Amino acid sequence: MTVEAAPRPAPAASRSGTVVRVGPVSGVVRWRQLVVPLAAFVVLVLLSAVSLGRGDFPIGVPDVLRTLVGLGEGAQDFIILELRAPRIVVGLLVGLALGVAGALFQTFARNPLASPDTLGITMGASVGAVAAIVLSSGGAVAGLGIPFAALLGALLVGVLLFVLTWRAGIDGYRLVLVGIALWSICTALVDWLLTNAEIYDAASAYVWITGSLNARTWDNAVPLAVALAVLLPLALAASRSLAVLQFGDDTARGLGVRLQTAQAAVVLVAIGCVAFAVSAAGPITFVALVVPQIAVRLTGGSRPPLLASGLLGAALVVGADLVTRTVLPEALPVGILTAVLGAPYLLWLLVRGRRQFT
Amino acid sequence: MTQTLKPETAAPGGRVRLAAEQVTLAYDDHVVVRDLDLQLVEGSFTAIVGPNGCGKSTLLRALGRLMRPTGGQVLLDGQAIARTPTREVAKVLGLLPQSPIAPDGLSVADLVARGRHPHQSWLRQWSRDDEAVVAEALTWTDMAELADRPVDELSGGQRQRAWISMALAQGTDLLLLDEPTTYLDLSHQIDVLELVGRLHAERGRTVVVVLHDLNLAARYAQRLVAMKDGVLVSSGRPEEVLTEQLLADVFDLEARVLPDPVSGTPMVVPVRRLR
Repeated sequence: MTVEAAPRPAPAASRSGTVVRVGPVSGVVRWRQLVVPLAAFVVLVLLSAVSLGRGDFPIGVPDVLRTLVGLGEGAQDFIILELRAPRIVVGLLVGLALGVAGALFQTFARNPLASPDTLGITMGASVGAVAAIVLSSGGAVAGLGIPFAALLGALLVGVLLFVLTWRAGIDGYRLVLVGIALWSICTALVDWLLTNAEIYDAASAYVWITGSLNARTWDNAVPLAVALAVLLPLALAASRSLAVLQFGDDTARGLGVRLQTAQAAVVLVAIGCVAFAVSAAGPITFVALVVPQIAVRLTGGSRPPLLASGLLGAALVVGADLVTRTVLPEALPVGILTAVLGAPYLLWLLVRGRRQFT
Repeated sequence: MTQTLKPETAAPGGRVRLAAEQVTLAYDDHVVVRDLDLQLVEGSFTAIVGPNGCGKSTLLRALGRLMRPTGGQVLLDGQAIARTPTREVAKVLGLLPQSPIAPDGLSVADLVARGRHPHQSWLRQWSRDDEAVVAEALTWTDMAELADRPVDELSGGQRQRAWISMALAQGTDLLLLDEPTTYLDLSHQIDVLELVGRLHAERGRTVVVVLHDLNLAARYAQRLVAMKDGVLVSSGRPEEVLTEQLLADVFDLEARVLPDPVSGTPMVVPVRRLR
């Protein structure tokens, strides 16, 4: 389009960042939004390499890397690729999924409290998994397997959340309120199942509820990887309308966003990410809540960045898992550590920072 | 697309850009606007006035396709707006809601840049056009100095300027504003209306604005539309619409109408509330 008056030279600081234009492709690259995901990625790779080497049979980082590129030897190959890698990969993918889902929910609802933990979706997974564990003598639920039961529970609550919130569109506040109601119903169900459970079942159910990467296999990693291969591109595709959805429904529509489609896409993709993540490793809490908040404070800008949130989430889960397996005297479920590591860091950023929310 | 500059105001009887045809608007069962007809011609500056709850903001929402009529239809350039892709509408018609929300930490430059959304795609996120138009919008609205400031740190008047700057960057021929002067002190109200007036006069925008202040509406708009109880009561030049009889009928107000000593437009001096 042409502009009426000849445009004066752009004010020097009109858009902080470097403009990139290659053919029909154009965009603004802001170094902080590039450096943070890159740094998170490097940290993630290092943590994963260290983590792959740690265990009853320690392997140095160079040997780990050699194995990963296919130059390893028999015993190391087996230990790394069959015993340890599934655990790390599940942790990585779970962190990625939860980070992205948290960023989607928080941006959409304009509310940092909108996380799959508070919205009841992870609790729905817990209902499914605990039912599968506790009712295993009953047979019907147990036949499904715990991950599948958890996936079912999470998706069921997710769909309920969506249906109950939808009123020709989704309002962020309504989403949070409906989510909290669903969360309390699911909590009551889990408590009821646990009080009626055999003590041994109750103990293993409890470990599952905390979120654990123990004894993960490729069977846990593959469904999650496939789901993310579909969901992450959708999330990135939705990020452009997300930037405008933040302005509220009227402005977003005024700017040409197909409101209902965009809202449904964002919420359903987020629900999908959470459901598959939680079914693979249990409700590793706090990642989806805290990581997007950390990411937005590191990158600056007005909303949690999707990519940085995902990578930081992955780094947090893999790092927390490494700590539980090495530093601590006994292997705790990773979910305890993500909260213990993430929460103080967020508090520090909050105390230091000026901004109040999101 | 090309924007045409229309410094002179379009003669009455110019091309109709936006029209409401027998529009009925309702929230659930509660009818707010009934069988309303309104035509907005190219290059006009229209202010919709009326008492609280008369349906003027609702009408504006329907004109901006934020609300679907339960009866009748809204036409944009002769096409039913409800059946036009929202993105295509967004290239022609911009709107500024009553209390727009800017997320924390968003800079003025980023806010104004979002006005380019309908012209962008996933790959084409910041073309030379986008950059030029946004820079120009910032300069034109005197916001270039504040471009890097977060919107949430601005004063009310500055914030409204930033939003108008965004609407300008959107590059639409038509602009709908819902009470853009709410919560502003008098001098900032004037400031905002001067800016909107310049958008109309210098940039040829067709402007529809919902306003509470009758004197300001009469001063800045070429045409007033008075509503009461969801019905269009009177429409025309300010001196035709703002009569003592109309103020009694529509606003239940006994008032004198004098010529504004500054602009010569009608000026309402209230006496007392009737009934």
